[in-house]
Amino acid sequence: MNQLIYNFAVWLDTHTWSTQLHESFYMYNWVESTHVLALMVSLGMLFLIDLRMLGLALPGIPATTIAHRLNRPMFIGFSVMILTGLLLFYAIPVRSSQSLWFRIKVVLLVAAAVNAWLFHRRMKHASSNAAGNWDRAIKAPRRLQMGAALSLCFWVLIVICGRLIAYDWFDCRSEPSAIIATLAGCVADQTQF
Amino acid sequence: MSTGVLGSYTRSIAVALVIGLGLVFAFSDARIDTWFALLPIFEWMETTPFGVIGQTWGAAFAVVEAIHLLAMAVLGGSVLVSDGRLLSLVFTDVPLRQVQDACHRPFVWSLLLIILTGVFMACGVAIKIYYLDVFWYKMLALSVGVAFVFFVRRPLLRHDIEHLNPQVLRLVAVASLMIWFSVAATGRWIGYSG
Repeated sequence: MNQLIYNFAVWLDTHTWSTQLHESFYMYNWVESTHVLALMVSLGMLFLIDLRMLGLALPGIPATTIAHRLNRPMFIGFSVMILTGLLLFYAIPVRSSQSLWFRIKVVLLVAAAVNAWLFHRRMKHASSNAAGNWDRAIKAPRRLQMGAALSLCFWVLIVICGRLIAYDWFDCRSEPSAIIATLAGCVADQTQF
Repeated sequence: MSTGVLGSYTRSIAVALVIGLGLVFAFSDARIDTWFALLPIFEWMETTPFGVIGQTWGAAFAVVEAIHLLAMAVLGGSVLVSDGRLLSLVFTDVPLRQVQDACHRPFVWSLLLIILTGVFMACGVAIKIYYLDVFWYKMLALSVGVAFVFFVRRPLLRHDIEHLNPQVLRLVAVASLMIWFSVAATGRWIGYSG
């Protein structure tokens, strides 16, 4: 599996556009800045929804109103974030695919996506429920609160991992321990880093 | 509207005066003298426990950086929602006052967290940022943002919002969005400079 990912990353790395994007000071920085600014939009909306469910923000506004109204700007932000994130990966494919932090981040992203799907299902269920008079309550039902808390935890960890990708503590070229090397996807006799 | 010797325009005149003084300061030797005078403070910042931790423990610096970013996300969210409401883009069926008041608390908490984590990060790279123009632009943008919120936006919105000119509300929202975008963008640019 690691060999396959490495081969794919090396193939991406052979693209002229990948090299040009990586070596263009302004373009790379613009993409990265857009990634961070889109994160502010998407996570800003998501955090407000989660904090509302936990009763920590916007208590006067009905919870489902917040969730429904902020969904669209949140998804626009997420779309830009994913697009720029893919471009950032495309610019430095080998190192990114072999970054332990990047790999943890991807796992957490999948977990956050599953949690978001479950959260929306629970919210729909709670809204259609006859006892769904929780909309104006300060806190959402317990299961929704758990989903919101999990979402907050996942995203805090995702941002921390994203930030740590910039550090080279566990890079394959630094010859890490066997476990780290396997988790990071280091390949024997690899020539590109 | 606060009234004083200058009538209902006291606050406007005070703001104009501050901007005027700021411009005089920016284009005079006083700015350079102040910049030189601040160097010992930045040198001292690197010797504080924050500075030592920031310089020697990369993981701590990275985690604080991430918290700074998360706080920026909350601040961005609250600014977008409250200004979006002023521009009639979101929550149009929720009273304007309710949205503004609801967004102010997360805004203040996230701003405090941004400043706290920002001070920590600044201590770790104090001398580097001292010589970066973009750092001073960010500080200027942040100061303008804070002054704008607490001396212009909040006092204005404390009045009977329904009777305020909608164009003024839109202008306030656009100005607010531009200021906070500048804060975020200049902050990001610090990472690429030096």
